[in-house]
Amino acid sequence: MRFALDLIESFRMAIDAIRANKARGALTTLGIIIGIVAVVLTLTAANGLRDTFRQSFSAVGSDVIYVSQMPWIMMDDFFNYRNRPPIDLKQARELESKLQGRAIVNPYLGERRDAKYRSEIMEGVQIIGTTEKQLHMSSAVPATGRFLQPFDVTYKKQVCVIGSEIREALFGSANPLNQMVKLGRTEFRVIGVMEEQGGSFFGDGPNFDRQITIPISSFVKAYGGRHGRLNVDLAVKAPSSESMEMVEYMVIGEMRNIRKLRPTEDDDFAINKLDTLIDTFNNMMGVVLLVGLLVTSISLFVGGVGVMNIMFVSVTERTREIGLRKAVGARRSSILFQFLFESAFICLLGGLIGILLSAALTAVINATLMPASVSVLILVIAVVVSLTVGVVAGFVPAYRGARLDPIEALRYE
Amino acid sequence: MAVIPEIKETTLSLNAIDKTYDMGVEQVHALRGVSLDICRNEYIAIMGASGSGKSTLMNIIGCLDSPSAGAYYLEGENVAAMSENQLSEIRNRQIGFVFQTFNLIARASIFHNVELPMIYGGIPRGERRRYAEEAITRVGLNDRIKHKPNELSGGQRQRVAIARALVFNPSIILADEPTGNLDSRTGGEIMGILDELHAAGQTIILVTHEEEIAQHASRVIRLKDGEVESDLRVDDTDACIAPSESLHLVGGATS
Repeated sequence: MRFALDLIESFRMAIDAIRANKARGALTTLGIIIGIVAVVLTLTAANGLRDTFRQSFSAVGSDVIYVSQMPWIMMDDFFNYRNRPPIDLKQARELESKLQGRAIVNPYLGERRDAKYRSEIMEGVQIIGTTEKQLHMSSAVPATGRFLQPFDVTYKKQVCVIGSEIREALFGSANPLNQMVKLGRTEFRVIGVMEEQGGSFFGDGPNFDRQITIPISSFVKAYGGRHGRLNVDLAVKAPSSESMEMVEYMVIGEMRNIRKLRPTEDDDFAINKLDTLIDTFNNMMGVVLLVGLLVTSISLFVGGVGVMNIMFVSVTERTREIGLRKAVGARRSSILFQFLFESAFICLLGGLIGILLSAALTAVINATLMPASVSVLILVIAVVVSLTVGVVAGFVPAYRGARLDPIEALRYE
Repeated sequence: MAVIPEIKETTLSLNAIDKTYDMGVEQVHALRGVSLDICRNEYIAIMGASGSGKSTLMNIIGCLDSPSAGAYYLEGENVAAMSENQLSEIRNRQIGFVFQTFNLIARASIFHNVELPMIYGGIPRGERRRYAEEAITRVGLNDRIKHKPNELSGGQRQRVAIARALVFNPSIILADEPTGNLDSRTGGEIMGILDELHAAGQTIILVTHEEEIAQHASRVIRLKDGEVESDLRVDDTDACIAPSESLHLVGGATS
């Protein structure tokens, strides 16, 4: 009971004190407001970037393993990867037959060529030669027309499926179906348009909207002779995301077999997964976040020092009051809590204003830069951080007040 | 500490109190072997020139300070050996302070100023309201209960301070120059209130340097150089069996 009343009294006096010094309180909260805005915006921006990243890869199935000559993210000297023997179509077919019934294997090849329709030209378009199995690998489906069919691949049909941006650039509002486009030197008939997938996070990364898909057999015929050697990438889809690990081991085992590696030799091919990419991204984000939070902590620190300063003033100008309170029975802890509440309040107030301000700024960012929203977790963090700053910054002044000798305090002029 | 029931109960008893301040090189003896017994419902004035040790004695009696040596029994408990939190509790329950400068909390209402000791004493809201209103009525300020101290005159502020001092029904009201900041007429009013409280059974200790104020008390203790110079009983109605030393002094003064 006594302690509870102490707390209520501390609370009440803290509010009174802040009300009595509105201008001072407002100026003090400013430092905290800025700090909290920095915290919230840093976290919100990090979340926004992560969402954008995820979204740009949403078309890539998370249960798909990519087997390539080179890894997506090179941790080693580029030439070590470059000297590896490429994966050819024969190896692709071998892996496919080995994994028959256990996983779907889809080979694909890529080249950049100019795409031309009448007078419209799009330069350096990503041309992908693949098979009808591509449909299993991602969630993307044609918006109009159809995707490749087995017979397109078998009979080396000169047909293509275009991405939504390609359609816009080459055809505008005209119907692209059954029109002939020139990809490099070869003409292809448009049989389908893929639905929009959303942009890529990386400027030069895979962008499914800016891609043209043709049968792999036609690809080899049209562009294969140029370098002599083909370097096929393989997409392997596991039956479920739980079986991914097992499929990955299987793929590694079979590929080592197919490429006749001795047990002592390292893999001369790379296993790429969306997870690896996400991990790398997260590591990168971690660093960005760390730097952001460091800058943020500095601004919070400055704000906290401001609060501490004001609390010293507050304690000093109420020295006699402290003496009186002690004379009528306040314990050290009562005085300590009174001032801790006061500084916690100032900071909480700053925190709440900071949150409102960040919400407004987030709305602006959302409208202009990238998708961003303030999450509940971020709000909780902001509140906890502002309270912590209040308690930490208020502690030394409050402790000094609590330790005052009542006789000296009562005599203070 | 011999208590003789049929006469009066001893409220506080100081036994050979020493207080020494360490001022770096030299030690200042503020009090030297002060012994006093004060009984319930006594009305005492402590007098002395500045530097006589009367402030120090008041601080020790008020449990704001601890003696360097000696024993101090307040309501039978040895206060000299208490921790700081225990002392807060004693101040809260047993002592009502009235200061020369009133020491009201400027931001708080009269009511809140008066209920403050009970808040620290853990008294529930309803009782606090009742006791505070009672105390404020006793000092004649029941129409000012919601006012702030700066809306009151000096005399009224001191009355609020008295209400605050008596609200918890303390063993002692300790008034340090209660009229020091007031003109003589308001000072007289304040002394009137203290006299009434004494008449109603309250033990009061006044610290003053004004003879006129000390006249209100029934026993006057004079300090000089940290020692009790004289301990005179003006009238014997409140007297209890006191230590032989003070009896001797009383006898010496009346002869």
